[in-house]
Amino acid sequence: MAGSFNFGEWISARSVIGDTLCEIGEKNERLFVCTPDVGMNLKGFRQKFPKRYIDVGIAEQNCVGVAAGLALAGNIPVIMGMLPFLSMRACEQVRTAVCYQNLPVRIIGTGGGLTSGGGSTHNAMEDLAILKSMVNMTVLSICDPNMIRDILNLSMDYPGPMYIRLAQGKKDRQLYEPGTMEFSIGGSVTAKDGKDITILAHGEMVGEALDAAEELKEEGIDVRVIDMYTVKPFDREAVKKAVEETKKIIVWEDHLMNGGLASSIADYFVDEQIRPVSFRRFGIPQVYAGFGSGEELRQKYGYAKEHVMEAVREMV
Amino acid sequence: MADKQEVLRLENLAYEMRKKLINLCGVYEGAVHIGGDLSMTDLLIGLFHHGLNVDPDNIQNPGRDRFILSKGHGAVCMYIAMAMRGFFDYDEIVRTYGKLDSAYGMHPCKVQLPGVECSSGSLGQGLAMAVGMTISAKVKGEGHRVVCMLGDGETCEGSVWEAAMSGRSFELGNLVAVIDRNCQMMCSYTEEITVMDPYADKWKAFGWNVLEIDGHDMNAIVDALDSLPPASSARPTAIIAHTTKGKGVSFMERAVGWHAGSLNEEDFKQALKELASNYGKEE
Repeated sequence: MAGSFNFGEWISARSVIGDTLCEIGEKNERLFVCTPDVGMNLKGFRQKFPKRYIDVGIAEQNCVGVAAGLALAGNIPVIMGMLPFLSMRACEQVRTAVCYQNLPVRIIGTGGGLTSGGGSTHNAMEDLAILKSMVNMTVLSICDPNMIRDILNLSMDYPGPMYIRLAQGKKDRQLYEPGTMEFSIGGSVTAKDGKDITILAHGEMVGEALDAAEELKEEGIDVRVIDMYTVKPFDREAVKKAVEETKKIIVWEDHLMNGGLASSIADYFVDEQIRPVSFRRFGIPQVYAGFGSGEELRQKYGYAKEHVMEAVREMV
Repeated sequence: MADKQEVLRLENLAYEMRKKLINLCGVYEGAVHIGGDLSMTDLLIGLFHHGLNVDPDNIQNPGRDRFILSKGHGAVCMYIAMAMRGFFDYDEIVRTYGKLDSAYGMHPCKVQLPGVECSSGSLGQGLAMAVGMTISAKVKGEGHRVVCMLGDGETCEGSVWEAAMSGRSFELGNLVAVIDRNCQMMCSYTEEITVMDPYADKWKAFGWNVLEIDGHDMNAIVDALDSLPPASSARPTAIIAHTTKGKGVSFMERAVGWHAGSLNEEDFKQALKELASNYGKEE
């Protein structure tokens, strides 16, 4: 359950998900929870609904295939696992068994970007590029644990497949006071309004961007921060408005610079002939990053808060 | 023991179906996966015309048995078996197969062709979906069976064995895998490339109830389908059907070149003549 709210406090998104699935499971008999042996926070669901808890062991391809079969039989399977393996080991099952048949399978996992702490085997830094490319797939990247609760509830009535990316999942930053925000699949949140420049971010980078905006305010720079939690289809209106009102755009994400949200936004600008005054992106370069904390790796590879703040100063 | 009249009826249907396959193979400009189609013809007749509880007039009936064609390249074989049962129109299949906007493609698509339970074509994915469907049936207390047809070649895919482990782990007595053991893949004979024997032992080792039959003996097919263990059984069943790729046409039988192809005028006539002769029929 959500505790008392303190901005910036870190709570476990995974445990919020575990609790939320239990709540949904009570009222929705179509909900199945599937996992390839990543069920630490699913014990409650497992105890309450043992028949609808499907742990297939360490077999991601099978997990996605079984979930597709459950969906074919009219159910809504939610898969919990580690994103690098769900997005790559099981890539073709996601594409062909789930997306091609347009089944309401929800894939939720941890390890987005360079936050896993496990090195490149456990970092999902290509996942958005892969999942975004799949027809019918809706892609979200969420930091705020309470947002996950809302999105999971909404997902029960949402058609087609869905992929939800978390960062660590163990320690995730609360950004919004529960009950004060309305989230929607396809939407975004203006986490901080501003008029000089807009930072479009998703996942853990939203909190970082809010910190950066706070510091830049003292320098007299008014930064807008938009939480682009729906990566596909992203909120075009919010982006268009940001270009019109702030002229300058930065995309900041814990994902390969190529193929992530920045690429989607660039595609959008090309297709719609939208011309921001300046447009830059921050993310992971073409590298297998090695070991270290997310913060350390962002410093090493040039997409930490300081780098983005420096770019903001240059651009405004 | 299988009823003699029933077996005779099914054998006649299998002859008709082989003729229909050969006809398509003669008419269609592109390649038809005729080798593997002919190896599973008798099995599909046994399933769609005897074993499966399905109703072409009520394709959404919740109590129906589910059939998944994991060897999706055999789609047209399934379309024809289903057409002969009243699901589809054979003439329409022949007229539109593989053409723009046709629902009858080389690999089955459930979105485009209602009546098909599951899209397939990427090998090794069907059994996991069958496992998921069977888990759902079991949880909901539904008694229907889920039957998944696999080619032996696709059991090179590791995902098949992941699903096989789950089939036993979740105690899916309602799950049936029928394996078309024709001992050939696209470019080779299985045992020359990937040693699969002892094949039945592999499924047994994964905890499955295993039946081995001659996949062209309609008596054996009917007996196997009639003697499946009860749904409450802890073990899923694998029917390993020993078959001949290209069965019924001498120049196709066990020929590596006939994984897929089309027939010229001369071969077309020869094929029909041989089929008639094999079945003791007038052409």
